[in-house]
Amino acid sequence: MADTPEAIKKSVRTYMFVGAILFVGTIVTVLVATVPWLDFGRHGFDAADCILGLTIATFKASLVAFIFMHLNHERKAVYWLFGSGLCMVCSLAGLTALALGDPIIDKFFYSGH
Amino acid sequence: MEIPYVVTPRKDTGLFNSKIAIWLFLASEVMLFGGFLSAYVFLRLGADYPWPERTLPVLPGLINTFVLIGSSITVVFAWASLKLRDWRKFQLFMGITVGCAMIFMVLKGIEYNAKLHHQALKLKDYSVVEGHLGVESEDGKPVLNHKGSTIEENLIFVEASKLTFDTVRFYKPWVEELLAQAEHHHSKVALAADVTAITKVGQSAEIIAKAGEPLSVELLNRLQAVHLAARSHNAANRTEALRAEWVTAKAANPGKKDWQIASGVNIDTAALAPTLLGEISTVPFSVDPPAKLDFHPRDIKAAEGQSRLRDDTVIDGKLLASPMVFHNIDAIDFQHLVMKAKEKGIDPEVAIENSWLMKNSAFVREAWAWHQGEVKKLSAELLKAHGVGKDGKPRYTPTHKELYRIGWKDLAKKAEDDGRTKLSGVDAAKEEFFGPNYKARGDETFPGLSVPREQVGFASKFTPAWNTYYAIYFAITGLHGLHVIGGALVLAYYLFFGKKMYLSDPEWLANRVEIGGLFWHFVDLVWIFVFPILYLM
Repeated sequence: MADTPEAIKKSVRTYMFVGAILFVGTIVTVLVATVPWLDFGRHGFDAADCILGLTIATFKASLVAFIFMHLNHERKAVYWLFGSGLCMVCSLAGLTALALGDPIIDKFFYSGH
Repeated sequence: MEIPYVVTPRKDTGLFNSKIAIWLFLASEVMLFGGFLSAYVFLRLGADYPWPERTLPVLPGLINTFVLIGSSITVVFAWASLKLRDWRKFQLFMGITVGCAMIFMVLKGIEYNAKLHHQALKLKDYSVVEGHLGVESEDGKPVLNHKGSTIEENLIFVEASKLTFDTVRFYKPWVEELLAQAEHHHSKVALAADVTAITKVGQSAEIIAKAGEPLSVELLNRLQAVHLAARSHNAANRTEALRAEWVTAKAANPGKKDWQIASGVNIDTAALAPTLLGEISTVPFSVDPPAKLDFHPRDIKAAEGQSRLRDDTVIDGKLLASPMVFHNIDAIDFQHLVMKAKEKGIDPEVAIENSWLMKNSAFVREAWAWHQGEVKKLSAELLKAHGVGKDGKPRYTPTHKELYRIGWKDLAKKAEDDGRTKLSGVDAAKEEFFGPNYKARGDETFPGLSVPREQVGFASKFTPAWNTYYAIYFAITGLHGLHVIGGALVLAYYLFFGKKMYLSDPEWLANRVEIGGLFWHFVDLVWIFVFPILYLM
């Protein structure tokens, strides 16, 4: 993390650059979701749109976490703390996935109509 | 006393205290929001109704995303300004950050307000209508209720001649409401007959309340007290009698198990009767002359002749026509109807043709015919752009939503095709933000619709009650909104009360702002996921 005045001044430019990427990323996400010729995969919302949207969101979130929240320069203790939280989230998502193994499924909803 | 490690880091962790604390907190926050987002996925995949894809207006969500990203940049600039010992710049950037938080909450409030005033109705055949309800009117003027406010046309009316209250379950505010309504109609609500009960063992029944005594909460409370005292006394007597029966039965059947003699253990009700007091479980009141009372649909189980409220109050009287009247409808949705038709093996087109809306609304028929034309155009465009697959079928076809939902934008386009008002510039932008503009586009674009009560399946504003999508939408965005408010308060505290600390120990304040900023970035980070998931997917 920048601590000297010179390093902080240098970081400010990085923050502006990252901010610009976040704005652009948001616009791209909206365009992909709303403009027909940018629609990936099947016509309308589908798995491809979901993956693309979440990938852009994850990229943006990573920029916020690593640059704005200074995770790229943090101590090990922080990685352990935040990492354990993320692991817990993945476990929760895993539980949701397990629920999809329920044999009683309405095929209509999983066939994409 | 000097607090250790507020500026210098601890040797073991390499971090100052509050940084460890905020990261611990953020880790728990990750789990909290992760849990909610998992719940969202679970609800979406398990929904037994067509999930409302891309149903929220994108523009407010997009602006809010920009606002939060902007505030994330300014908060880190505020921190950098403190590190560079520039108080003025800190004030500027932190002021912008707090301002962004306020803009975010205002926009969120506008969005919520639109949802909470937008009506949805699912008919018995699962077709859905959306729009805005009207208010009761006579000769063009709104009818006012006993409170002096307008009456939304989604009430159930009963010409009540008798009200029978459950003395235990009656709900005091409703009693007062019924009384006020009866008074408004110049009707008197009074005891239909003397209420008598035995209040002391061995004595004859006495009059607790006389016929003609006006309805009041106090009277019901008095009757409730007599009833509960009698019920308690009677229950004790019955228990005592049963115990005595058991003692006798056990003495007569030595060595036998309880279950072997249980069927023979019965209370002698005839012998017990003289020891019991009079219970008053219900009490009838006459309404003279019969008054037109109104009820919210959720509170009443309406039926011809006799209706029942949720607190078990029975209302005798004629059920009056109580249609649900939309002054403007802005969406017609057959998605759920089609889903149900497919489940039953019925052709969706046949199901739509047989729906109440198609049979009873010329506008819906007209809109549906226009919509079919639009779907054909879209299908042709998709075929032209993407061709056919190996199976000879078009590679891309219109979505379920495009096939079976006519949204407000479709209705607006239909009106424009018919040569009616076309909005542009600010009006068009406002419509994107606030939803359909009934005034500018007129009733021909968004006409009214009256739905008889017997056709109403389920009606609600766009609140958590409407479906699980709105439940999780309000849960996630509401929780996120609370985080925005909390974060903004902390940052505002640094902005308005941080000068003293800045003058005494600027590094300490910089560390504090870093901690507040970390929380603020996290709030932004959550929104980065919430926006595409709730607004775009």
